[in-house]
Amino acid sequence: MTAPKLALNSISMVYSQRGRRFVALRDISLDIEAGEFISLVGASGCGKTTLLRVVDGLVAPTHGEVLVDGARVTRPGPDRGFVFQQDALFPWRTVLNNIIFGLEVQGRAKHEALVRADALVRLVGLGGFEHHYPHELSGGMRQRANLARALTIDPDILLMDEPFAALDAQTREIMQAELLRIWRSDRKTVMFVTHQIDEAVYLADRVVVMTSRPGQIKAVLDVDIPRPRDLSVKRTPRFLELVDAIWKMIEEEVKAALRITDDDREVTSRPIATY
Amino acid sequence: MADVAIPLDLEREEHESATTRFFRTHASTLRGAFSLLVVAAVWEIAGRTGRWPLILAPISDIWLKFLQLAASGELLRHVLVSLNEFIVGFAMAAVFGVVLGIVIASSQTAKDVIDPWVSAVYATPTVALAPLFIFVFGIDAPSKMAVVFLLAVFPIVINTATGMTSTDRVYIEAARSFSANRMQIFTKVLIPSALPFIVAGLRLGIGRGLVGVVVGEFIGARAGLGYLIFKSSQGFQIDAMWVGVFLLAGTGVLAVSILQRVERRMAPWRQFELK
Repeated sequence: MTAPKLALNSISMVYSQRGRRFVALRDISLDIEAGEFISLVGASGCGKTTLLRVVDGLVAPTHGEVLVDGARVTRPGPDRGFVFQQDALFPWRTVLNNIIFGLEVQGRAKHEALVRADALVRLVGLGGFEHHYPHELSGGMRQRANLARALTIDPDILLMDEPFAALDAQTREIMQAELLRIWRSDRKTVMFVTHQIDEAVYLADRVVVMTSRPGQIKAVLDVDIPRPRDLSVKRTPRFLELVDAIWKMIEEEVKAALRITDDDREVTSRPIATY
Repeated sequence: MADVAIPLDLEREEHESATTRFFRTHASTLRGAFSLLVVAAVWEIAGRTGRWPLILAPISDIWLKFLQLAASGELLRHVLVSLNEFIVGFAMAAVFGVVLGIVIASSQTAKDVIDPWVSAVYATPTVALAPLFIFVFGIDAPSKMAVVFLLAVFPIVINTATGMTSTDRVYIEAARSFSANRMQIFTKVLIPSALPFIVAGLRLGIGRGLVGVVVGEFIGARAGLGYLIFKSSQGFQIDAMWVGVFLLAGTGVLAVSILQRVERRMAPWRQFELK
């Protein structure tokens, strides 16, 4: 087997807040192959986003290291692209100028940047909206632009932090299908953080389930559903089985975190309610 | 995806006459003009009764006085003197204020050292210092420029610093994830994000700066609109006094509208939010 594209070696993250130590991540190790799509799920506050920020190099881990192609990550780099959760498009830039931002800070020629941006605008289906400002776009279009902006620098690894969380159910499904299409054509390595378990299973080759505080890896599940997948996959028995298994694991975690007794089981038996 | 909904009032546009259309599209302006006309009419009538000779001159008399002062060239002299004082003082305040605001926002040490002074002096009615300025800078333009500067600079400093520090963290993170360096984060994120605040500070500065011109000229001057107002009221020439007041009001309106135009060009994304 070849060396992994992305290696997380026993990563821990400890914060001290008002004199108290707070362990956000404990001893996380994971190898990710080139072109692999990994989803990260876990209860709120389990450190999924923190882990993604560590991989991007936005924060340094307290212990452990992240290796990209064997090289240690110390800061953000052009081999990784981050798609933010919230609306992180620059409101003072048009769609096109948002998309070329990555190339602009790298000091590439404007002409080259525009050619690249133009191709991306079409890839994510934003043709005709290049000169609109983010506030003039719908939530779905903004996330398309957000994705295009991360893709401009042509990163090998895409780090996506709940990019579709703010979208309505329909738009989210469309965006999931679009993401798979783009991933198929580009074969990026993807780490995708989400709250939505069905989204995690639908997209990923492997789903990483994290424990609640401190965030540790609880289980890694192989999603053995053949690709290309379309939305009908979501109704197959195997899909539902996987979703159910993950629900149960997360429910355990949430209950452990809240110290809920068995008497309360009725109330919490639908995990969706705990989110 | 249905993204931008543009209400198309096709029918309405077809059936409506040119006059109705004019009234509909300019309704806002027309109401404003009407409001001004009503007040002017009441003013004229009240002035004609002659019951308040020391307060109200009829609008028509003020107009005639304006024409007379304008024809003699006296008015132009006053206007140019005041305008010169205002522009120089305000330009210094704008440059110094923006630079100082950036310094305060960029360095905690600078903030700690400068902040108490800004708070203390901003809270003081600095016009009280105007007489002192006449002693120091003489009776002509420089003393008025100093007063304008002192009054206008604080809202500019405070707004610039606030704008820089209130930049949403997510934009800074996004820039960092694209490997932007400190200078790029400064010029491509902090400054554009602070721009609307800076412009708002400049707008406040205009109002305060005009007050500075008038107060400075009240205290001691040989020409200028404030001088015209002061001298006329002392000599019971109420019509000439009002000419000065109206010209000042007009200058304020003009300066603010120029700035709004500048703001619309520099920060088109803000229009949406500012409404």
